Amino acid sequence: MIGSQAGCGSALRRTRGPARRPLSAQVRGFWFLAPLFGFIGLLILIPVLGTLLDSLFRDIIYLPARFVLLANFQALAADPAFWGAVRFSLLFVLVSVPLQLLLGLGMALVLNEPMPLRGLVRACMLVPWAIPAAVTGRVFQLVYNYSYGAANYLLDRLQLSAEPVNWLGTSVSSFVAVVAADTWQTTPFAAILLLAGLAAIPEDLYAQARVDQAGLLRRFFSITLPLLKPVLIVALLFRTIQALRVFDIIFVLTGGGPGGATEPLSMLAYRHFAAGDFGYGSAASVVLFAIALGLSLVYVRVGRFQEGP
Amino acid sequence: MHRTPRILFGLACLLALWACGAGPQDAGIVFAIGGAPDEIQVWEAIAAGFSRDTGVPVRILRQPTDTAQRRQGLLVALGSAQRDPDVFLMDIAWLGLFAAAEWLAPLEEVDLEPFFPQVVRLTDFFADQLIALPVTVDVGVLYYRADLLAGPPPQTWDALAAQALRVQQRLRPRQPGFFGFVWQGAQYEGLVVNFLDLAGSRGGFVRDGDRIRVQSPANLRALTRMVDFIHGTAAISPPNTYTEMTEEEVRRYFQSGGALFQRNWPYAYALHQAEGSAVQGRTGVSPLPDPDDGERAPTLGGWHVGVSAFSDRPAAAQRFARYLTSAAVQKKLVLELGLPSGRRDLYADADVLAKFPHFKTLAAVLPTARPRPIVPSYTLISEIMQRRLSGALARDDTPAAALAKAQLEIDQLLARTADRPAGQGRP
Repeated sequence: MIGSQAGCGSALRRTRGPARRPLSAQVRGFWFLAPLFGFIGLLILIPVLGTLLDSLFRDIIYLPARFVLLANFQALAADPAFWGAVRFSLLFVLVSVPLQLLLGLGMALVLNEPMPLRGLVRACMLVPWAIPAAVTGRVFQLVYNYSYGAANYLLDRLQLSAEPVNWLGTSVSSFVAVVAADTWQTTPFAAILLLAGLAAIPEDLYAQARVDQAGLLRRFFSITLPLLKPVLIVALLFRTIQALRVFDIIFVLTGGGPGGATEPLSMLAYRHFAAGDFGYGSAASVVLFAIALGLSLVYVRVGRFQEGP
Repeated sequence: MHRTPRILFGLACLLALWACGAGPQDAGIVFAIGGAPDEIQVWEAIAAGFSRDTGVPVRILRQPTDTAQRRQGLLVALGSAQRDPDVFLMDIAWLGLFAAAEWLAPLEEVDLEPFFPQVVRLTDFFADQLIALPVTVDVGVLYYRADLLAGPPPQTWDALAAQALRVQQRLRPRQPGFFGFVWQGAQYEGLVVNFLDLAGSRGGFVRDGDRIRVQSPANLRALTRMVDFIHGTAAISPPNTYTEMTEEEVRRYFQSGGALFQRNWPYAYALHQAEGSAVQGRTGVSPLPDPDDGERAPTLGGWHVGVSAFSDRPAAAQRFARYLTSAAVQKKLVLELGLPSGRRDLYADADVLAKFPHFKTLAAVLPTARPRPIVPSYTLISEIMQRRLSGALARDDTPAAALAKAQLEIDQLLARTADRPAGQGRP
């Protein structure tokens, strides 16, 4: 953390030029930033530190609290449900994020082309992202429902299967079902980010490339993709963190079932909070936080944010 | 000179504000209750009756319908030692947690004679103190289609499976979605209850010193049976039993005429017999079949009233708790909501039997019902069981492997959460 802050500082100084501002201006600048620091401290730092602290306690609602150092983490390591949740969370990120970014990129490329009613189409595309995840979960429950779901209705109508399919019935198919629902929900988010990135690419570059007789693919790989990279990394970072802490859509859709096959880490933590086992739930949250932080650092390093695009 | 009156006026305003602010807190007791809108109406009427009789106002703190959300709402209020609510209803499965957390005031001046003795003895005492009273009791029963079933309802699970299969095969050509037996198999508390109903007295959660044993031959047979109901060559339960079937899904399935047998709570009876139901006048109720091992031991459900240890009106709260379990209020609850009472005398009441003939069956079943372990960690134990049972029903694990994993996880949990024998009060 300290290293990256120093990096930011040096970058800022470079852009700002050699002349330092007078001290009074710096102090005044601090006052402008103070509310932000206050908010970050109050709403992010304190809860994070509180969770960290709580994870070191046996904090169960019906027992006296006791400092146990890493016992909660040891218990997590021995808990098959924990490893199941870690595996699901990572697999969910690994499958859903690239899928959503690819689809989002496709959508963004299409919507970036001039077409009639482009504004309307763009607005329509955003609708899934505007729907609360819990509602999406309920909607897809109706899609996957065994007796009266839309998916089985289509199967029956198209005569693809003699028997209805129990979509949420196996660990593999329920995983696919959850990824599909989440992809429907969040692809527009990736698309809108990437669309903004596409719009920022100067049109003359493409004109120039056309003069040089570069084909469509050549233009995409030599101009669009490299210039889109910073936005792609940002979208990747956002989506990864969102996917890591996925909760509501799965909570509503499968409840983590069957047999805990679709239980993310966040839900494991929630279950323990809800049962009054706060120390253990906090420990699971800390692991989730560590994974998110680790992945973010990797992205930031790979994206080389300090140097700018 | 003219400043003094102004200050006085200001002080008077402050006093008035303070009085207003203090008013509602002093106004009486707060009763936390959840449920469907029609249920809340009945509770409001009961609370109003109490206020009329005693002059103590009762404010209803309305909770969600969902059981887990109701528990969480109370957990937050009681965990932070708030004065409200003073009185609340608890699902029987939370009693161990609430009692061990010392949130429940011991109940005073209660006559236990009218209640089912084993219900009160096994669930409402914690560390030798009476901490709750049954307001409603619940026990799973077998519903059957009297018009489709030739002969009496089955006494064993084998007989149930055979009859279910026969009727299912007969009706399938006309009714492709017809199944012999529907029950609660989704991954939630209801799955554990259905499992315990099948496992009988030798299975379920067996207390063994500090341990709770779930790896037993009786449990293995019960779980194997459940898997066979769904996936066996002679499957009699819908494939979505373990993904979607909760109480209401099951009730609707049976009520639309889609099944021969149904395991459900007694509440379904009134709905099945209501106008517009496809099974109106064709529904029979009987005890669940005998388990493969041991005696019948259907799971005891229901809601118990408790008084908060943090109540600011303890005397009035105690009085309200006794009022809720009085014969008059209990009869009103039975007649208006169809919820079985914890009082034995109501099962011989002519008005009750006239409206709910199935209470005769309940009177025979209830004394055999057995509670889930009254331990503070029950919620977490149940979640382990839910996940492992569901894993077996999804065929991710064999029944034997699922029970072995559940045992391991329960052992780990109890080792982590107990520094005194499970289920006993604080020293």
